[in-house]
Amino acid sequence: MAISRRRFVGCVAGSLTAGLSLDLRRPVDAGPRRVLLDLGEHCGLRESVAGYESALAGLGTGVTSRCTLLIVPAALDIPPPAVGAIMSCLRTGATVLLESGAGFATARDFRAHRAVLRDRLGVHIEAPVRLWSRRGARGVPYVDYRWPSTAKIRDFSRVVPLGRQSEGEGEIIAWVDGLPVALKRRLGRGDLIFLGSPLGPALWAGDAEARRWFGEFVVGRRCAPTSVARDGR
Amino acid sequence: MKKAIGDNMIPKEWGFEKGLRLVKQAGFDGIELWLGDVPWFQLSTADAQVRELRHKVEDAGLVVSNVSTGLHWASPLSARDPTVRARAMRIVERQIETAVLLGSDAILVVAGLVTEEVPYNEVYQRCVDALASLGETATRAGVRIGCENCNAEHRFLISPREFWQFLNDVKSPAVGIHLDVGNIHDTGFAEQWIEIHGPRITRIHLKDVMKHRGRCGDQSVYTNLFLGDNNWPAIRAALTKVGYDGWLVAEMEARYRYAPDQQFYDTAQAMDRLVSGRL
Repeated sequence: MAISRRRFVGCVAGSLTAGLSLDLRRPVDAGPRRVLLDLGEHCGLRESVAGYESALAGLGTGVTSRCTLLIVPAALDIPPPAVGAIMSCLRTGATVLLESGAGFATARDFRAHRAVLRDRLGVHIEAPVRLWSRRGARGVPYVDYRWPSTAKIRDFSRVVPLGRQSEGEGEIIAWVDGLPVALKRRLGRGDLIFLGSPLGPALWAGDAEARRWFGEFVVGRRCAPTSVARDGR
Repeated sequence: MKKAIGDNMIPKEWGFEKGLRLVKQAGFDGIELWLGDVPWFQLSTADAQVRELRHKVEDAGLVVSNVSTGLHWASPLSARDPTVRARAMRIVERQIETAVLLGSDAILVVAGLVTEEVPYNEVYQRCVDALASLGETATRAGVRIGCENCNAEHRFLISPREFWQFLNDVKSPAVGIHLDVGNIHDTGFAEQWIEIHGPRITRIHLKDVMKHRGRCGDQSVYTNLFLGDNNWPAIRAALTKVGYDGWLVAEMEARYRYAPDQQFYDTAQAMDRLVSGRL
């Protein structure tokens, strides 16, 4: 993946250049604090990128700390440079929010998505589930988040549930309809947050509860202003 | 104002040419073509075949008033599935392409479908984004997109001010409203929609509505002109007030048990009365 175009939201410049993964090993004071990694053609839901972008911009620029946050919206197949960026962030103690966009993916894209998550990040997922065909008319299948705060956020029709994780490998932080759909786990010196139910579209549509939960998550990460890096092809 | 009627009203066993002759004989000036709803005009219909349709229309002494479609009920612009959304966009693009081929400058789009599963806020935002983009395509083609007020059917943009704000958010002069005076039911008054939207009206669908039936029964709320509860003198006055001089397009349900062609004649005559103001 050639990441060749940068656009910055906020006041801290990023350091993404063509063909290179994120390099966050240098002192975080000088680097980007919140980075939105747009996977371009490997992003399954464009509106999710817009949702995170809008929500991050709405959080303002007042909070600063030594923590770094990388957000990867609606990922399908995650190309090696992006995996490298994620791993690099985690090694240096950053938090990575990795949102699955594979609910509506083709079988091929889903297989690639699952393999990367399993082989590189140790996250085990199951095939997408159509929530509404399971439930009939019994009600709205809200996603119940339990960390960093409790929240009840609208589903996005299809979820990528978590499979059985290795012993001690993380904590389930959200459920929907009895399915575990979000995970927090320590990886390297950082934290990986995996969302199997897309949050970005709810942010994009202005869902107040989604924005509250996300705001608390970001503030909890104590991160500074945002950079947005896009695949410029 | 000019009168048209949809080709989806033509009895399927009649075929397009015989239907066109009926439309002309009944006194209409044009015909609305429904992409995907009639056998002769499908997404798979090639450009050359579309041109042939135009020739047939013109040979019958008619013109194409606009290109409509019901395909967005199954493939809405507001779908969560990106594949469905891409198909919905393609449908609109094909409508624009065929409108140009057919010599028309307007299309009808059902802009979004609120369901239990896909909530209003998502539908709104997705439709604004989609139509802003499609508006650019339409502008380049010299075509206007009329979003139909389907009110109760799509549970979206229920009031005229809400619809007005929606068009403001789309911010494209190529995107307006295809106003259906029968779709408002008991949630408002068609004449007020006409006054509010004025120059943003791309086309007008005509039918009457029996407001007392509501939407819960097993009988249709729709009926032929002058048989329902629409205030036709008020509608006619509002059209005059806003200076609407475009197409009036009959969109009825085919309700005649016998002599289905009679509905064309009756509808055309009723539309003449509306246009002339003899109400």
